[in-house]
Amino acid sequence: MGLLTVLKKLKQKEKEMRILMLGLDNAGKTTILKRFNGEDIDTISPTLGFNIITLEHRGFKLNVWDVGGQKSLRSYWRNYFECTDGLIWVVDSADKRRLLDCKKELHQLLDEERLAGATLLVFANKQDLAGALSFEEIRDVLDLTSIKTHHWQIVGCSAVTGSHLLEGIDWLIDDISARIFSLD
Amino acid sequence: MTSPQRYSKGLENLCIEDGDVDPINIISGQESNMFDEAIGHIEDVLMDPKFQDLQKSFLEKYWNEFEDSEENKLVYMEIFKEYTDVVEKFIENHLILSMKDFCMESFTSQLQERKDELEGEVFEILFTFTDFLVFKEMFLDYKAVKEGRVEDLGLNIHVTSV
Repeated sequence: MGLLTVLKKLKQKEKEMRILMLGLDNAGKTTILKRFNGEDIDTISPTLGFNIITLEHRGFKLNVWDVGGQKSLRSYWRNYFECTDGLIWVVDSADKRRLLDCKKELHQLLDEERLAGATLLVFANKQDLAGALSFEEIRDVLDLTSIKTHHWQIVGCSAVTGSHLLEGIDWLIDDISARIFSLD
Repeated sequence: MTSPQRYSKGLENLCIEDGDVDPINIISGQESNMFDEAIGHIEDVLMDPKFQDLQKSFLEKYWNEFEDSEENKLVYMEIFKEYTDVVEKFIENHLILSMKDFCMESFTSQLQERKDELEGEVFEILFTFTDFLVFKEMFLDYKAVKEGRVEDLGLNIHVTSV
């Protein structure tokens, strides 16, 4: 590990967390981000690069990185792994056709060494759509119960209505802070 | 002055037996001096006109890629990685040239042990090299100067002593 990476890790303050948000394209990552930030969500176009926002919640500062999910962009995801405390995996619960692709990409990420310590929150998004699978069904299709390497949780939510988003974030903060404080 | 030989012995322990030796047991006054000496050399690097030239040529090479929009291009992250590598290499080379038997591995492990004492301007500056948003801002400022939208105020990237 180089000098600056070491310093970066040391600089992270107790109440600061780095969150990486990934998932297939059209899962709703940027919509979730903007919803958290209180921004307009009617004019969001597919993300070709990445967005960063800082959320302040319960006295914690969350630096959330949202990277585009199109197939051609996924090989760039690795540039964002370093120092990640929490991974948010966003799923379009109504896109049944691509759930196996979604499962494959998620499990590949979990094998990444640089994400080894990260807490995993899965957002089963778009619960407001009529054809959406429930979060329990998404949990089973993605085979989440087989995950032994990461703390994980799945929450059914809707970025459009805002339902259950905070619930997910609260769990993520609790899990990360419990891990970080227990290390100290 | 401590003799260089004794430094070298202490460092050999740190580097070669890395992982086998409990670092806390081998921290000595000499290593503490070495640590302070290294910090002093890093301060010199940050003031070095060659370092500022390096930053300037880096900005010159890539400022055209940057745009003042909310969404970041993926290439920014690649440029950022290259930037931190270049800065890191420059600092490391300087330390290797200025200090006999400098070992980056033992230096970074000392940084980790002293993580609660890393205060002062030199660390503030080093921390900014790891911050993507500061990096992006630096490019946008440089771009504004290049496009003549703001007056060149000495480029503000220069590190000055207080």
